[in-house]
Amino acid sequence: MIENNTALQLEIAELMVQALNLDVAAAEIEPDAPLYGSGLGLDSIDILEVALVISKQYGLQLKSDNENNHQIFSSLRSLAEYVATHKTK
Amino acid sequence: MTQPKESTYQKSAPWLKQKERSNTLMLRIMSWISLRLGRRAGRLVLHLIALYFVLFAPASRRASLGYLPRALGRPANLIDLYKHFFCFASTIHDRIYLINRRYDLFDIDIQGKNVIRPLIDAKKGVLLMGAHLGSFEVMRAIGRKVPGLSVAMVMHKDNAQKINAMLSAINPEASMDVIPLGHIDSMLQVQQRLDEGMLVGMLADRTLGDEPMAQLELLGAPAAIPTGPFRMAALLRRQVVFMVGLYMGDNRYQVHFETLADFAEVPRGERDQAVDKAIARYVELLNRYTRLAPYNWFNFFDYWQSVPASLTEKSHNIHE
Repeated sequence: MIENNTALQLEIAELMVQALNLDVAAAEIEPDAPLYGSGLGLDSIDILEVALVISKQYGLQLKSDNENNHQIFSSLRSLAEYVATHKTK
Repeated sequence: MTQPKESTYQKSAPWLKQKERSNTLMLRIMSWISLRLGRRAGRLVLHLIALYFVLFAPASRRASLGYLPRALGRPANLIDLYKHFFCFASTIHDRIYLINRRYDLFDIDIQGKNVIRPLIDAKKGVLLMGAHLGSFEVMRAIGRKVPGLSVAMVMHKDNAQKINAMLSAINPEASMDVIPLGHIDSMLQVQQRLDEGMLVGMLADRTLGDEPMAQLELLGAPAAIPTGPFRMAALLRRQVVFMVGLYMGDNRYQVHFETLADFAEVPRGERDQAVDKAIARYVELLNRYTRLAPYNWFNFFDYWQSVPASLTEKSHNIHE
């Protein structure tokens, strides 16, 4: 399970790098660094883009009324955990 | 969009610090006058307020004198300055009546209904983009007059709090549906409202300081325009309509809807060009309407302040 998640983290990191044209390599994104604001430096529009790409890729919903959004998008690790438990494809 | 974000700079700083202070003071004075004395008497007092600003608000005066010659195409004199402040004061004053649904007091001319009507009927969600140009409240008033139409406004959360405090002071039923910026899921909220078929409005001429800008010619000089609202519209694949509510003197307002962009069918690979095109169209519309109603520009800070060096070197580095 942990290994799966590491693979998934990298996969998601690659999706993010591609979607946002980030200047970092996917493997260099710290799993526990904040995605939003300081850390990776994404703004809320970037987060939207990530949400759209991930929803499409994994067939899941990332909605605004989810109270856990701050938690889900807090780091690559937590995003991967959410995807792992909710993905439908 | 990416790091390093050297194209980011703080247009927000001047307006967050300086403008809101005078704005709040003005609001407080005018709510009192309007509720006690009525619109006609209230407007007499507005002249005093405009005069006060001409004489004793050097920062606002400087900003106005920096802007007016660009829109008027000639040097600005004291009368222009006075008209500018009077126009601003009028829209704030009228807000109090509009919030209380006193539409009978006003002559509101709506142009471009054919642009917005089919989009509302389609119920697919529309983004409305305005500017700090004219009356924000008259735009909301139009929204309330159309049955079944609901508008949520995207704004900075501090502003949202101030505005809602003011609204509830004037009319407890007049709360506003606000999507506050600065949250991790702000844009997901925008998406959700659009998915529900709502209209989502925002004033796209100011940034909050954490987003990339593009340099465009506004009234003949380079200005930095935030790209965020247009990137967001492109990601969400929505139609974007420009909306402005201009104060035309006395009790007259002119509301204009204009087609701005349609991102519904834009393929991913062409998104950046489509965003650039939308920003250019937005600025074209700002040029047109600031010239049509020059005293309606309510950015009382130096909008043309030095454009970031990274933008002047390459005209466009926002998409890498």
